[in-house]
Amino acid sequence: MDAGAGKPSEATNGAALAAILAGGIGAFAMGLVVILNEAGLFAAPSLYAPAGGVSGRTTIAVAIWLMAWAVLHTRWKGRQVEDRPVHAATLALIALGIVLCLPPVWKLF
Amino acid sequence: MDTMLFTERSIWTMVHGIALGGGALMGLAAALFSLRTMRTVTPSDIAARNQARSLGLLLALTALLLWLAVIIGTYVNFPPYRATPPEGLTDLSQYPRALIRANPGTEWLHSFAMESKEHLPWIAAMLTTAVAAVSLRYRVLVLSNRRLNDMASMLVVVAILLVAFASLLGVFVNKVAPLE
Repeated sequence: MDAGAGKPSEATNGAALAAILAGGIGAFAMGLVVILNEAGLFAAPSLYAPAGGVSGRTTIAVAIWLMAWAVLHTRWKGRQVEDRPVHAATLALIALGIVLCLPPVWKLF
Repeated sequence: MDTMLFTERSIWTMVHGIALGGGALMGLAAALFSLRTMRTVTPSDIAARNQARSLGLLLALTALLLWLAVIIGTYVNFPPYRATPPEGLTDLSQYPRALIRANPGTEWLHSFAMESKEHLPWIAAMLTTAVAAVSLRYRVLVLSNRRLNDMASMLVVVAILLVAFASLLGVFVNKVAPLE
């Protein structure tokens, strides 16, 4: 995916694509945590009892998003990255994440 | 004179839905308009640079509103919504989830509407933050680089749809079982 390196960050797209793809990963992480919870495969701990499990599920998804962003930014910062596959992967991850957060889908699992 | 127009719970609901959610929706709409209408082929243009700086700040403010909306929604508004009423209580007006689930005609407002609202707006907050970070870092390139502009616009559109969807569902829930 990498096509080159060494240019100043403003002239390269790596940092932008890292933020964009991390957004997709965060969206997918939210959907994955939710569907695993609904399928009874993983119950996120409740971090704030009055709010229930949603506090744990959202915190885990946000943590995954931030970690993914940090890793991708470190790897792609200052590099020129092929953007089409990153854009496509991002949109696919977002779509999957959204679909998995919709209650009618939970009934399929 | 001592009559309270709004309870504390009601005020927090308005802060969450109207001030933060509504503000974020306006910010996202303005950002999308800016992304699509301020595109430029001359990134060195002073006006374009100023517009890009304003766009970055707008997106950052919008992301902040969204994070506040989801955090307040989850940790302030949601707990009283999902509180369990004491055994045998017949007046469920102070327990919105129980009130909604007690009627088969409104049960979907919890099983679909509120369950969707619990998670989807967090995705909007993450996507808006990503676009804000890109806009603040790349500034005028977001307006002059066609592919970057298209992707940023796409993410803002997704965020708008998610926030609008959650807002609409929130209105439905609040009309039937308001937090009072």
